[in-house]
Amino acid sequence: MRILYPFILSLLLFISSCSRPRELTFMVGGSPNELLYWEKVIGEFHEKTGIKVKLIRQPTDTDQRRQGIVIALRSKSRDPDVFLMDVVWVGAIASSGWLEPLDSYIERDNLDLNKFFSRVVDEVDRYRGNVMALPVYVDGGLLYYRKDLLAKYGYTAPPETWEELLQMAKKVQARERRKNKNFWGFVWQGAMYEGLICTFLEFSSSFGGGITIDSTGRIVVNIPQNVEALKFMQDLIHRYKISPPNTYTELKEEEVRLIFDQGNALFERNWPYAWGLHEKNPELKDKVGITKLPHRKGKRSASTLGGWHIGISRFSDVKNEAWEFVKFVTSYEKQRDFALNLGWNPGRVDVYADTVIEKTAPHLVLLKDVFENAVARPSLPYYSGVSQILQKHLNSVLSLSETPQEALEKAQNDIDEFIKKYED
Amino acid sequence: MKIKKNGEIRTAYFYISPLLTIILLFILIPIVGTFINSLYRDITYLPSRFTGFTNYADLIKLSDFWNSLKFTTLFTAVSVSLETVLGISFALLLKEVFTGRSFLRTILLIPWAIPTAISARLWQLMYNYNYGLLNYFLDVTHTGAKVNWLGTAHGAFWAITIADVWKTTPFMTLILLAGLQTIPDELYEQAMVDNATMWKRFLYITLPLLRPALVVALIFRTADALRIFDLVYVLTGGGPAGSTRTVSILGFHSFVNGDFGTGSAVSIIIFLLVFIFSLLYIRAWRLKETL
Repeated sequence: MRILYPFILSLLLFISSCSRPRELTFMVGGSPNELLYWEKVIGEFHEKTGIKVKLIRQPTDTDQRRQGIVIALRSKSRDPDVFLMDVVWVGAIASSGWLEPLDSYIERDNLDLNKFFSRVVDEVDRYRGNVMALPVYVDGGLLYYRKDLLAKYGYTAPPETWEELLQMAKKVQARERRKNKNFWGFVWQGAMYEGLICTFLEFSSSFGGGITIDSTGRIVVNIPQNVEALKFMQDLIHRYKISPPNTYTELKEEEVRLIFDQGNALFERNWPYAWGLHEKNPELKDKVGITKLPHRKGKRSASTLGGWHIGISRFSDVKNEAWEFVKFVTSYEKQRDFALNLGWNPGRVDVYADTVIEKTAPHLVLLKDVFENAVARPSLPYYSGVSQILQKHLNSVLSLSETPQEALEKAQNDIDEFIKKYED
Repeated sequence: MKIKKNGEIRTAYFYISPLLTIILLFILIPIVGTFINSLYRDITYLPSRFTGFTNYADLIKLSDFWNSLKFTTLFTAVSVSLETVLGISFALLLKEVFTGRSFLRTILLIPWAIPTAISARLWQLMYNYNYGLLNYFLDVTHTGAKVNWLGTAHGAFWAITIADVWKTTPFMTLILLAGLQTIPDELYEQAMVDNATMWKRFLYITLPLLRPALVVALIFRTADALRIFDLVYVLTGGGPAGSTRTVSILGFHSFVNGDFGTGSAVSIIIFLLVFIFSLLYIRAWRLKETL
């Protein structure tokens, strides 16, 4: 019998070691430097709470990140416990019942939701009244402009309306062309991809339209304001010729940024990430300004909401630990660290008033205003299908193969038809 | 006698069983699985449900589907024809003995050796409006304004076709060259004695004897062209305005949207397309063989 003791003891040890360390699995993607930073965050979290976190690395590509998470959740896998979600998937994942509602945790720990962008929390993170996720960082479209060129041609302030932008761009482009044949008034994302939806949402919303969901749950795109906005986008390329002809074939974020970086554009529509890169460019140093995107006279400026949110899987076996991690990542200190180290725009409003932030990243203060008024893309299970239909028709207008009116009519029909498949 | 034969058959089955298992496991089961999947409404965020041939019926109603089918078949016809003509010419040329032949044979393979995604990106840079090589030459020679090569449906079609021909002609050449080398020289010598012209020698000796190699090359190339994805995906992304969306890209979009049922249906349609074309080639070849 005695001979069995070591055996039993080691068995007990083995069993206890299996259940004791409640390891948390965190799924996240992004660029290499972001992943390196997450490793650091995990280390700090372990030091603070004693909870070990396993990192599952995902690719940089957003679609692949979504697929990775969705496949795990669909099979009700216990891992990952926590993950980051793009703005546009939160609604879809929540509606599938794959996210753990956070309300009871928030209440228990007295987390103050007012410290976050309330519009973002309401439009993105709430599903049927429950908070399903929290913003880790927010993003939104901005207008970059060349301070030096505006001053050179006698303008004291950046444009507030599209009409003003058009005038400035036409004049500056005509003059600058004498020296630089490749100069363009205004560059923006018009290729056939998700970015086109973002720019369209900004143009249309700032014309008083937008992509909306009516009371019956139908997505509405075919409204007169949108037709007008789309016509304006088409005109920028083909009538006013202040945007390059390859806008609708090649211009995505990086292509647009490069044109501006090479000094070949007066105005640029881009995300906040371009700021740091423009600032690093010695030729543009102190010549670049940022402001809100213009709007139609009498309407309001709009910026498409981007960014990533953190949520807990409903199938997680370590939900309390997962919540600790969510709290850690969205804490004031960590949010400030993200802003200072990765240039992310905090999902918490209070960080924007931080003295260190004000000193080292003053542009963030302006961004706060932008994010507070950002418009979200519809958060629906079938969003990506709707997006593809819209991308095609919007791109058809920019390439002159459809008129704005017929494109939106067709898009509306196609969307209505497409959604039928999702109705039970 | 009969017993012995049965035994032989059994032994034969025994020997081919590993191969059969592999075919079953990795080819038949996935195809059948995909087909079964295509009969379901299988969408990421919804519970799956058997819907019969609804996915196919929905596809047939879709103008996008017919456009992509038209684009894909047109692209296949044009690119494979060009590749065949060029492939035969190059193969005939490289069969001749001349200095620098082995060097030429080697560098001919370079386009084929470069991964498609990379060569597609190279072509994209050449076609690029702002800093592309083609527009650079237009600019230097002052022949006119810059051209947005990938900006029109026609432009994008030819851009893709040229890139594909550039990339896959070496493959065609390689297979045809191997085929040419199996043709005995005596036949040509005999034809010379009979005073046959070069054209006649090509028509009555080279072409008929090259046919087995040609059919293999055609089947490979046609199947590849019908399934084309990577080149188009990188070069145009299906644009402008969806005009270069191939059937594979359509299927890919369905999968990305989380609509696995429709994606599977598209995959089955591509499979059938390739299957029918291959059968046609083999039939056409056999018919002539018996004549």
